[in-house]
Amino acid sequence: MKIVFTAKGDSWDSQIDERFGRMDMLVLFDEGSNSLEAIKIDTENMEHGAGLQTAQKVLAFHPDVIITGNGAGNKALDILKRSSVKMYIGAGGMSLKEAYEAYKNGKLNLQF
Amino acid sequence: MKEVVVISGKGGTGKTSISASFAYLEGSNAVIADCDVDAANMHILLNADFEKQEDFFSGELALIDEEKCTNCGKCKEVCRFDAIDLKDGQYVVDKISCEGCWYCSRVCPSDAITMVKQKAGDLFVSNIKNNSTMVHAKLGFAAENSGKLVAKVKQEAKIFALKNDKEFIITDGSPGIGCPVISSLSGANLVVLVTEATVSGLHDLKRVIKLLKTFSLQAVCIINKYDLNTKMSKIIEEYLDTEGIRVIAKLHYDEMFTRALTEAKPIVEYSAQSELSGLIRESWNEIKNIIRSKK
Repeated sequence: MKIVFTAKGDSWDSQIDERFGRMDMLVLFDEGSNSLEAIKIDTENMEHGAGLQTAQKVLAFHPDVIITGNGAGNKALDILKRSSVKMYIGAGGMSLKEAYEAYKNGKLNLQF
Repeated sequence: MKEVVVISGKGGTGKTSISASFAYLEGSNAVIADCDVDAANMHILLNADFEKQEDFFSGELALIDEEKCTNCGKCKEVCRFDAIDLKDGQYVVDKISCEGCWYCSRVCPSDAITMVKQKAGDLFVSNIKNNSTMVHAKLGFAAENSGKLVAKVKQEAKIFALKNDKEFIITDGSPGIGCPVISSLSGANLVVLVTEATVSGLHDLKRVIKLLKTFSLQAVCIINKYDLNTKMSKIIEEYLDTEGIRVIAKLHYDEMFTRALTEAKPIVEYSAQSELSGLIRESWNEIKNIIRSKK
């Protein structure tokens, strides 16, 4: 299972970034190999359509699950829904570790 | 640190007058982020001093190197924005029309066109009335507001708020539901909708509420100028009720709004003892209560 977190930093202790399109950092956790990888996707330089561009970049990692705060906007949703990814929201204010546990315990809401 | 975002859907509802009042009331406990960059005017009401300035870059413009250019005209042929013209035997780019799409640069057979990053405006951090701080921006001619610029303004405000241990960020968003508005909503702890009792007030309010739902954001509403059309105000209240959005204040139409503006003062400064100022003060206290009671 591959999980993408929208994060404000690069470790398990970093905070979740509530934003999808303009997330600070994409953190990819692969449960199979137990590896955590942080990727900067340069969202601050996207002028318009950040949601769409970020959705494309996220899908390139073929995640099974995305964990974020407020959720994605309508245009990003259009793209994300075409894949099999599941998106969990409501992790704003949590660390990645807390968000992962909340997800495991079924405490996050499914956006789609 | 908690962020309150004030938006309206429709322009001219009194959003900035109200957020400037909130800013004035909270003083040094808040940082203000003016994200209505297309028509930034909050700095006038709050007497900003433009202490720190930084260039803001956004978008690119095509630049033709006249040495390399053979004046073949391929660039003009492909330009969708009519931004390239032949002047005195030389093709030149009209800076205002160019949208920075790169098409001309891609097709140029002699690699004479480069794309140059453009300064779109200035970003400021200012000291304002009541010992507070404000992050705001000013756009250059023909430059447009963008989600990127709003994200930058918010980012600066957040850094300042965290560093100086401020409890609130008060963000004045822009009208509409486009990219800058979406960007201004991100990370909001509470959204304050300012609407007015008119047909377009309701129409645009509905659009913006649809947007809020996508992001599962909690909102409250202030109906401004409610007595201009009490029937419409009632319809708005009923609609908000079905959406589960609480009306925290109904403000009557008062020319004091305009008089305060002409003196470059927020209403709560211009006439602190008035009924209107009392209602705005109560609204702000209510907003703080809602935010503080959330975990």
